[in-house]
Amino acid sequence: MRIPFTLLLSVLSLLPHAHPADPAAAKEANVRQFFDRNAVGASSESTHTNNWAVLVCASRYWFNYRHMANALGMYRTVKRLGIPDSNIILMLADDAACNARNRYPGCVFANQGRGLDLYGENIEVDYRGYEVTVENFLRVLTGRVEPSVPRSKRLLTDDRSNIFVYMTGHGGNEFLKFQDNEEISAFDIADAFEQMWQKKRYNEIFFMIDTCQANTMYSKFYSPNILATGSSEIHENSYSYENDNDIGVAVIDSYTHFVLEYLEGIDKTSSASMKDFFEKYDPVPIRSHAGVRSDLFHRPLNRTLITDFFGGVAHAEVIDSSVDARLDDLRPSPPHAHVEQNVSFDDEAFVEVAVELLPDAVDAASSALARQFRAWGSLGLVGAVIAWVAFKPGHGQRRTET
Amino acid sequence: MATLREKLKSALGSGDNSAKIRRRRAMTASLWRNLSVLRVALLVTGYVWMLALPSSQLGQGTYIDENALQPGQVNTYWSWADVRRADDYLKDLELLRDRNASSEERAAYFATEFAKLGIPPSTQKYALRSSTLASEGTNAYAVFSSPRASGAEAVVISASWLSHTDGFNLRGLATVLSLSAFLKQYSHWSKDIIFILSDGYLDGMHAWLSAYHGSSQSNMQVEPLELTSGVIWTALNIDYPGHSFSHLGVFREGLNGRLPNQDLINSFRLISHHTGGVPVLLYDHHDPSDFPGRQDILKIFPAWTPKRVTDNKDVMEYGYRAKNILRHVGYQARGRASGVHGLLHQFRIDAITLFAVPSNGPHGFHALGRTVESTLRTMNNLLERLHASFFFYIMATPGTFLKIGTYLPSAVLVAVALMFGGLGEWVNAGWVEVLDQDAGATDKQSAALIHAKRWVQRSRDVIPALGIVISTHVAGAALFSVVSSSWFMANQQTYTFPVILLASLLPLLTLLLPSSGDPTSQAPLPILLKSATLCLSSTLISVTSVLNFSLAALLAVALGVPVSLAAPAHSMITRLLRYLLYAALGLGWLALGQEMRQAVWHWEVLGVWFAPLVCVVYTPMMLQAGIVCLLSP
Repeated sequence: MRIPFTLLLSVLSLLPHAHPADPAAAKEANVRQFFDRNAVGASSESTHTNNWAVLVCASRYWFNYRHMANALGMYRTVKRLGIPDSNIILMLADDAACNARNRYPGCVFANQGRGLDLYGENIEVDYRGYEVTVENFLRVLTGRVEPSVPRSKRLLTDDRSNIFVYMTGHGGNEFLKFQDNEEISAFDIADAFEQMWQKKRYNEIFFMIDTCQANTMYSKFYSPNILATGSSEIHENSYSYENDNDIGVAVIDSYTHFVLEYLEGIDKTSSASMKDFFEKYDPVPIRSHAGVRSDLFHRPLNRTLITDFFGGVAHAEVIDSSVDARLDDLRPSPPHAHVEQNVSFDDEAFVEVAVELLPDAVDAASSALARQFRAWGSLGLVGAVIAWVAFKPGHGQRRTET
Repeated sequence: MATLREKLKSALGSGDNSAKIRRRRAMTASLWRNLSVLRVALLVTGYVWMLALPSSQLGQGTYIDENALQPGQVNTYWSWADVRRADDYLKDLELLRDRNASSEERAAYFATEFAKLGIPPSTQKYALRSSTLASEGTNAYAVFSSPRASGAEAVVISASWLSHTDGFNLRGLATVLSLSAFLKQYSHWSKDIIFILSDGYLDGMHAWLSAYHGSSQSNMQVEPLELTSGVIWTALNIDYPGHSFSHLGVFREGLNGRLPNQDLINSFRLISHHTGGVPVLLYDHHDPSDFPGRQDILKIFPAWTPKRVTDNKDVMEYGYRAKNILRHVGYQARGRASGVHGLLHQFRIDAITLFAVPSNGPHGFHALGRTVESTLRTMNNLLERLHASFFFYIMATPGTFLKIGTYLPSAVLVAVALMFGGLGEWVNAGWVEVLDQDAGATDKQSAALIHAKRWVQRSRDVIPALGIVISTHVAGAALFSVVSSSWFMANQQTYTFPVILLASLLPLLTLLLPSSGDPTSQAPLPILLKSATLCLSSTLISVTSVLNFSLAALLAVALGVPVSLAAPAHSMITRLLRYLLYAALGLGWLALGQEMRQAVWHWEVLGVWFAPLVCVVYTPMMLQAGIVCLLSP
């Protein structure tokens, strides 16, 4: 939805009588001001225009109930803070809710006493069961998916996307197990992120992982604009937080519990920064030393909002007319058409990129204001098209004939 | 790499082969010179090791190995209403017992009660026949299908009509009935739950299991089961003969020395402690450290032991552990099941019996029900069969056990000693030291005589020795067919002595064998026979040790010293006396009437290998050792 909108903006900007040079700049400033005033976290310095979340629970089996609860807890939080289901890729290796051992069928709880059902009535699991594999995870990140994969299972990000990646499961020094069957290494994730950077698939990434020796998992990152945090140091275990004695297993991990507890106090308009968030890490109740890696991240943490990653934004973007002059033929164009010029992929890789990027990227976060603006814009566009057709009838007829 | 090898070679001086050969010769020579010392050392180490097994230095603490089990992490909902229900069932059962109700009546009662609860019930008649006794009865069982799972797996809760003590297991049956009503209320079972109320003691459950798993035997008629379920993974058998209980005892030994996975015992122990509040025992052995001032409950030290010794903490601990291990060896070596659960192990079902140790209190249905409920939740959590923890172990106390590596070497060392002995005899048989006639035999040169001795190789004719070995084993097989026949069992007291006499007279036939020829050219028969017997017994012990350690240890004790010491004598009287000693060792067990009947019944009905093993392997070996003594050197 973002593309038609920007497209319209760019088309509008191309109409010479409507946008003389100076008023255009003024209008752009106006528009930016308008959105900034209404945007989530007015003090944000982030330049992203859309938010995505990839939440992975890599372990299965009933006794790993807590990992399902971790991922679902995170899912609830990002959804509450404004990222829509269409922008969340939820990978859940097992279905604790429908396990025959579950005393509360269809429910997953993350606390003793079962106050809040995380499974609820509105859950969209994108990859479940045996679909949760290292391969699928890397394909989601890098966008190298089969053409048949539905859009809901793709990470349709661009260079203005902020991505929150959360992983949980059983891991160790520089690896995380997937379903007791395979494992992903810290190098795999680092390389996937680098590929995403080269393919301009993100603006910033916030990587969070809750597993044993979790901090080793982000130690191999080398791509820019990645902020990472993990639950425990090398040679240190991450522990579960509490059991529910009716469910009969541990229901949540300690680190995730404290993260979620903190995030419960954050709402869409919060101006709390990542610095505030990280300062709340306390190894005593968490029972492990949570770590932060910010050397790849170029913004100061005290001016990076939590909602830059956990919240959803729907920033409009005014595209410079000189860049996209060729959009005037109304053909939908890849947002990163210039990828083809800058980066030389060989053979298949290139084809895949093209296939993946041609469909317009979706930004479902549409506020009421944006919708209104779009309505006016399309009215103007329809007017313009009618006028155009009216003035060049012959041209129009020839096109319909061919 | 090559230079390294060169260096190594030069360092060891193995550049030329002659050095290598010299070294090997020196080693063999020193082995040969010290062979008897080595054999004694190995034997003594093996036996001392066995004696050290109860030492508190050897055990290690038990732990839960399987992640999925999550024992003792649930609230239990077994309540006093369920206890009341169990009491009601108990009243009915007492009426049935008092009017001496038949098996059919009892099974019909159980089936009716299950049906009232809405759990599909069925009954199964069976009849068993053996040379010692025939039995028949009727089992009742019910299958509660898992409400939300496929029913491909099942767990069993069972109770038999008779307790392993001499009484009736009425409270065990009442517990199972009340549990079935209680468990049915919940939908979180991932496995079917099969309730089995078996008739008799072992026979009922054996019939049921045979029918369930489709195994048949000629001396048993069983009705096919009307209801079936999935693969049974785990089972709990409840034995509650008394009025109340103070402890729950775990019985674990199965047929032919099989053991359940240790995780099951450890989970149960944890749950019993934390959820049921009931301390756990091994069997019904109380830990003397729980009863200060009443060390006599151990009942293992003879009365004449000074009190100062028995009161010592370490001695007490040793005695307690020794008692537990001896009880275990008693079951495992004889291949006996220590409870009804022991029948299930052969079908790869991990099962234990919970024995409510009779006492005046304080526990009853309430604690037992909660413990079983929580244990079932733990078994319900399993995603695959129990596999993580140990299958080979010796429990020294409820919380400590010996790993296979800490006990196996004791029996293996004895086997090694026997093998060295056998090989030594084999070499003895092949060589003889003779006087060198050419060196002169005058008295003056007597000093030189010593040096004039030389080794002569002689032929080793193994056919007679092997013939004796084979014929003793054939005789053993014949003996087994005799003692397991119904006419022998019917008149056991009359026939026992003649059979012993006949069996011990048979080997005397070997006296008729022509004496082996010139000892300088042909190996004497006793040496060859001893060599064969030693090697055979060594092989037997080492192979058995990995299958059934207790049996291997028993064989090591029974065979080790006697077979090693067997040697011919010159006087006929000594030879006969020695032979009689071996014959008594080899055949004396025939006089243990009741024990023998039990062993034969276990073989015929349950397929326990102990009786045939004794007849066909142990007794012949003892007779072979006897023949070694009997033959003229």
